[in-house]
Amino acid sequence: MRKIDFGEKLSNTLYLPFAFLAMVAMIIPVYILFKVSVSSPQEILTAHPSFLIRSFTFNHWRQILRSGGLWAPLTKSFLVATITTAAAVVIAAPAAYVIARMPSKIKYAIVLSLFLLRMFPEVAIALSISVQFLKWNLIDTNIGLVMAHLILNLPFAAWILVGTFETIPKDLEEAALVDGAGKVMSLLKIIMPLAMPGIAVAAMFVWLNSWNEFTYALYLTMSKRTLPLQTYYYVVRGGWFDAATYATILMIPVLLVTFFLQRYMKGGYLSGAVKG
Amino acid sequence: MAIIASLVVTMVVGCGSKGVSDARKKVLKVSMGLAEEEWKVMREDIFPDFEKKYGVKIEPVQMEAGDAVKKLESMHKANAMDIDLITQDNMQLAPLVDKGLMEDLSSYRDMIPKEVIPALVPVGEFSGKLYFMPYRPNVEITFYNEKKFNEYGLKPPTNWEELLQVARTFKEKEGMGRVVIKENLGPDSTIHMFDLIRSAGGDPVVLNDEGSVKAFTFLKELQPYLSPESKKADWNTPNQYLATDSAYLIQNWPFTSVVVVKDGGKKEIKAYHGWSGPVKESHVLGGEVIGIPKNAPNKEMAVKFMEYLMSKEVQEKLTSKLGWPSMRTDAYGKVEDWQKPYFEAVNEALKYAEPRPNLTYWADVDKAVNSALREIIFEGKDIKATLDKYHDAIEQAKKSAGQ
Repeated sequence: MRKIDFGEKLSNTLYLPFAFLAMVAMIIPVYILFKVSVSSPQEILTAHPSFLIRSFTFNHWRQILRSGGLWAPLTKSFLVATITTAAAVVIAAPAAYVIARMPSKIKYAIVLSLFLLRMFPEVAIALSISVQFLKWNLIDTNIGLVMAHLILNLPFAAWILVGTFETIPKDLEEAALVDGAGKVMSLLKIIMPLAMPGIAVAAMFVWLNSWNEFTYALYLTMSKRTLPLQTYYYVVRGGWFDAATYATILMIPVLLVTFFLQRYMKGGYLSGAVKG
Repeated sequence: MAIIASLVVTMVVGCGSKGVSDARKKVLKVSMGLAEEEWKVMREDIFPDFEKKYGVKIEPVQMEAGDAVKKLESMHKANAMDIDLITQDNMQLAPLVDKGLMEDLSSYRDMIPKEVIPALVPVGEFSGKLYFMPYRPNVEITFYNEKKFNEYGLKPPTNWEELLQVARTFKEKEGMGRVVIKENLGPDSTIHMFDLIRSAGGDPVVLNDEGSVKAFTFLKELQPYLSPESKKADWNTPNQYLATDSAYLIQNWPFTSVVVVKDGGKKEIKAYHGWSGPVKESHVLGGEVIGIPKNAPNKEMAVKFMEYLMSKEVQEKLTSKLGWPSMRTDAYGKVEDWQKPYFEAVNEALKYAEPRPNLTYWADVDKAVNSALREIIFEGKDIKATLDKYHDAIEQAKKSAGQ
């Protein structure tokens, strides 16, 4: 009979309470944001606002939905984030696969060099990058923003995927080759499906980063704002209820995309994949 | 591949041609930092007459004052300026001029109407050149919670002694300071220190004169009775403090009345012009000015629009529709009933408004004032010795700037 040590016992006991606390800590700010967006001003603008929603109103939502200022930024943000994610996965996955199969020393040198640009503060390089993009007439275009977001996200996507491909045994590829599959076929039919959890994580990471990105959007946007810029506008202009409503709306696609992508984040794909 | 192809197409299409340039002359891109309801007035009441008269289409661009430098700088460096005219917060002009982003408008000086409030003109001058035209004056007014003042039998303070008394009473009655002086060690606290020093007869750019010493001495005396929110107070947070009853007296920009009273329904929040110091009453003159970015594609039309914005007709509309005080002494408008008391407070405070000096070494002055504030008020250092130290720092910056 296996002996359970004290550490494991403690971890088993505290796991749930800690998970619950972490969940509460994350959910409460989101709830408050939602509450502000659906409460009357009188309920919020007091010395001691109630925790629960007492006087529900859909006015702020109605105002935002009717203002005509929501759909264009929402569409732009969604398009940019989705195209950035697709491009990042398409570019980073094959590159990461190749890097993962390289000898260790070269591999780590390349992975480190991927992060070279990320070692500088974003604001320090955003101006010079934006200047170049402006010269290319990419202001106010989706493609400009996608390219800017790829600068930020490609290194991370590649890094995540290098780690993923490393965990896939080379024997699997070799077995596929023995069975007559070509290199490309074994990559597409064997390796990629096995790498799906890592790809999903990378995609989710890139999508969220692009969806929330602010600095490049600020530089490269003149009149066609993204949703974070639109939210910023209301935060700066002092409209609490509009800002809270926009921020809540900003979260909805995040929930949907996370829900969709997390289906692919399953462990145990490789258990029993290679048997001697 | 798709991205690269799109990029090439974009670049090819984007390459300028004479046709594009002619089309651009029919468009005037105007950048302002406005709220929704303010844009509505611009679109419905201000732009159409100009568009009709000159056959031009005005394209409004929302640009916050704090972002203007970044955006204009990137366009300027890329040689792709796409904005024809900006209206900008007069507290944030120096970086635009320092970076060479604005046109020198000195040759259009005659365009300024003779009915202008005189103090507004120097705001746009840097080293003898006129870079910005007057557009919209603004000034901080004092907001107070009438219900709380009545509850404790207090009246809004009109001088330093009364201010101290009010702050002390709130602290004694509620165990917590309810008066806010902005001490966030940023541009907002600089404004409040300017007001305190000037109203004691001092010059904040000198910083160790008698008035400055008096101002810091008074603030030190007042400090124990101030709200803890003072350290975080900027131009935006006072709305929250007033709305949630964590502060009962605070000076801030007039837009607070829209956010807290009109939108928030806190009718007990009233306003008046403020208090005087031992020598006079003084408020930093804020507001917005008009500028034309260097290499603006449609400068000719921008100049016409600049003149139009300063006209009596436009100024009266801005007063009536938005409650903005006019830059002209001959422009009168009728503001909405709810807005009247706040508008009157602004007009009264404007009588005591003084522009902030336009110095190329402004950043050093700002840093010196806030460093003195931190050391004297938060760290308890000696007032005179600290002010002498920062006076020397300002003098050094002045010398380095060649002035």
